[in-house]
Amino acid sequence: MTLDLTVARQMVGADMLRLRKKRGMIALALAAMLVPLVIVTGYDVVKHASDPAHYGPAGGLNSYGRLLDLLGVFMGPVAAILIGAEAGAGDLAAGVFRDNVLTGRSRTALFLARIPAAAAVTLAVTAVAYVLGVAATFVFAGGLATPSLSLILQSVAWLALANSVVCVIALGVASLTGSRTGTITGLIAWELVLSPLVVQAASLGTLRRGLLDAVLLFLKPGPLTGPPVIPMAVAVAVVVTIAWLLVLPTLGAWRMRTRDA
Amino acid sequence: MCGAPAGLSLDGMPTTHAFQHHGAPALETLGLTKRFGERTAVADVSLVVPRGVAYGFLGHNGAGKTTLIRMLLGLTRASAGSASVLGLPVPEQRAQALARVGAIVEEPSFYPHLTGYENLKIAAAVRGPHTRARIGGVLERVGLDKRARDRVGTYSLGMRQRLGVARCLLSDPELLILDEPMNGLDPGGMLDVRLMIRAMVEDEGRTVFVSSHLLDEVEKTCDVAAIIDGGRVIAQGSIAELVADEAGELVIECDDPERALMVLAGDPAVRDLRAEHGSLRMRLVRPGHAGEINSRLVAAGIVVTRLEPARRSLEDRFLEMTTRLEVAA
Repeated sequence: MTLDLTVARQMVGADMLRLRKKRGMIALALAAMLVPLVIVTGYDVVKHASDPAHYGPAGGLNSYGRLLDLLGVFMGPVAAILIGAEAGAGDLAAGVFRDNVLTGRSRTALFLARIPAAAAVTLAVTAVAYVLGVAATFVFAGGLATPSLSLILQSVAWLALANSVVCVIALGVASLTGSRTGTITGLIAWELVLSPLVVQAASLGTLRRGLLDAVLLFLKPGPLTGPPVIPMAVAVAVVVTIAWLLVLPTLGAWRMRTRDA
Repeated sequence: MCGAPAGLSLDGMPTTHAFQHHGAPALETLGLTKRFGERTAVADVSLVVPRGVAYGFLGHNGAGKTTLIRMLLGLTRASAGSASVLGLPVPEQRAQALARVGAIVEEPSFYPHLTGYENLKIAAAVRGPHTRARIGGVLERVGLDKRARDRVGTYSLGMRQRLGVARCLLSDPELLILDEPMNGLDPGGMLDVRLMIRAMVEDEGRTVFVSSHLLDEVEKTCDVAAIIDGGRVIAQGSIAELVADEAGELVIECDDPERALMVLAGDPAVRDLRAEHGSLRMRLVRPGHAGEINSRLVAAGIVVTRLEPARRSLEDRFLEMTTRLEVAA
């Protein structure tokens, strides 16, 4: 048991190494979150500086809500998709999958090691953007209210959940399809275009509760600043989240076990 | 290139001659067959690879070499037949078997954005907890210790091949399976790989199974070989057996080939007598007749400088066998 845990820890560490050393991907993931954050905050700062009577400070509680939308609903998931897709199909793209299989190590173990590694890298990247965003919220708050410690803690937990789930889904899809590019293109299109449209399609009624975005928006703490929230029971939100977490990664694991190396 | 002196292990543990060559063969197949739809890639192959040898697996591109290796390593299922690796049936006990095997199938692949050391660190993590301590040793063993901190993306093909062998050695394997290890290498690189394989067999007691279409390299590197053509093994045995001239052809070099030709002409024990490139070639009816031939030439005052059975290269033998099959088809 101890030996298994040691091997598992080493495998997770190895996957983290290959992900965090992919500097282009890490830079892109960070840029996906930071560039919009800098643009939006900078725009608000300039507006406030040029006409304080009409435009409030760039920080404060309201901008904190927008920060959460950016990092947990829009660009954070994009970063999570980039990292998850690399974790799920990077070894196939490099041709290393076969060499890993040749060690005799179970393919399921190889798959499972990717999950904490990818989630950890995603959370690290999200944390960098979040810390900068929160700093901006306080620095540019002026006289506005700022988020409480309790809200910050809830937000951290929510962001960790939102981006980890998306990352694991991307990992599952990439393992299933074997294609990084396909996974990134498809999931970003879903995350940024299709899913927001479907969430707002009132004609779909309660069916929308099955959407991950609907669940994450429902669970989001803090002020309502983004897309409309679809009411649902917490139990439904938990079940839907677990379903998303299980189905696609399970399919990815199955494909990894059966894939011709 | 072979940095670890004989008698020393890569991690301070005694490994030289550590592998006892008793019990089951390193590899054994019985009627192994692989079909892809209507096409049979490997047909009824039965092989026995003894332990402690360099075993060459020769064949044209597309002859079925890689498919057979993939079946042995459990990467693809056989359509029929059985196989065992180090005495363990595969794919049933594949994990246990592969823990003692190092293999490169087709070409070694690495994460190009990582250094050689980091790539081995990842491979070691998958292999097990004690493997990491061997990284430095195996890098030195294949002569890459000075470039270990460079990104693999900057490595030449030869360096990647050597890094692939280093990755194989991480688990201190009893058996190495190398698929076309000399592909794309320059003569210096080929020599490095050849010396490394010989050292692994002779100094460390490992078994090395080398598939290749480079006949000359197999002849120089291996002790035993099998020839595969069209998915079927058409010959196997020691290199000496494979290149031996079954027809008993004799080559003689002397100071006066024309007179020697006249002396031997009409000898009922000699057939197909001819002069070729300044020497005489003939087939003997009785294998032990070479001494009498020498005596007759010496008695006739001819100075014999060379008299030996004709030796064909493995390439000659390979081409002869595969051409014969093509004609038969």
